[in-house]
Amino acid sequence: MELILPNELGYELIARDAVAAFAWRLGVPIDRIDDLKTALCEACINAIEHGNSLKPDLHVEILCRVEDECLVIEVCDEGVRPFAPKAEPLSIVEKLAGMGSLRGMGLMLISQLCDESGFVSRDDVGNCFRLAFQRHRAASLGCSSNPGSHVSV
Amino acid sequence: MDKHDDTSREPVEKIIELRLPSKLGYERVAMDTASSLARRMGFHDDRVESLKTAVSEAVTNAIEHGNQQDSAMKVVVLLTARDDELIISVADQGRKILDQDDTTSSPHIADVLEKFDKGGWGIWLIRELMDEVEFTTAPSGGNQVRMVIHLEQ
Repeated sequence: MELILPNELGYELIARDAVAAFAWRLGVPIDRIDDLKTALCEACINAIEHGNSLKPDLHVEILCRVEDECLVIEVCDEGVRPFAPKAEPLSIVEKLAGMGSLRGMGLMLISQLCDESGFVSRDDVGNCFRLAFQRHRAASLGCSSNPGSHVSV
Repeated sequence: MDKHDDTSREPVEKIIELRLPSKLGYERVAMDTASSLARRMGFHDDRVESLKTAVSEAVTNAIEHGNQQDSAMKVVVLLTARDDELIISVADQGRKILDQDDTTSSPHIADVLEKFDKGGWGIWLIRELMDEVEFTTAPSGGNQVRMVIHLEQ
């Protein structure tokens, strides 16, 4: 399944409902679908705000497929701003202590909600973020597929 | 009137594109995507329900008839949101071309009840539920149905 959205905040909610319907159809447990919805929204907002720099003429592409026993979702932007990982991201405790902005916790949140997540390389220009969920297990035991040049976050 | 004036009157529209495999069940993904968008546009619940039924029928027709349930073939759903209406276009890849006579005739209840297969109500339902309906040939050469639902303020 593929979904192409306008690069506008708010459309992540449409993506959330579309992909949740897809996940439900694949037999993903309801509690994991809740995790998926939150993680997907965060990934889409990152793509809209950062990767595509809120430019309204750009698009976000979402690809959903099954790899082994995992539901894999890729959220791809057009790469106005390539993702640059921070060397030492602040922890939540440090952020709450006022050592940095309270924003910027999206990737951390996603990594807690998914069985696997991270940026992957793609042939086209742009950032591509991969999220994977086990289809039939509520526990996060990880997905065994080989996503290529996968970078965990 | 200069060119700028013409341009300023063009409707603002946002397009969502959804590509689905031709497998029964995926019409629910289209239904949930369309209803999610319609609710956010401000459609009333009864109109959203009508939209879901029409989208379901259109996508099911595309999967079952147009693409003959070949899961390698795609059904493309375009959702175009304008200030005052939502346009839904459903296109298949045309393994079987729809007879234009089938897009205009209404089934007779007595005839349908006598048949073993009680199907055949889809196009009639779509015409009853949507404000505008048009059957055309998609750019890809397949069947395409364009449905419009007006937003009442």
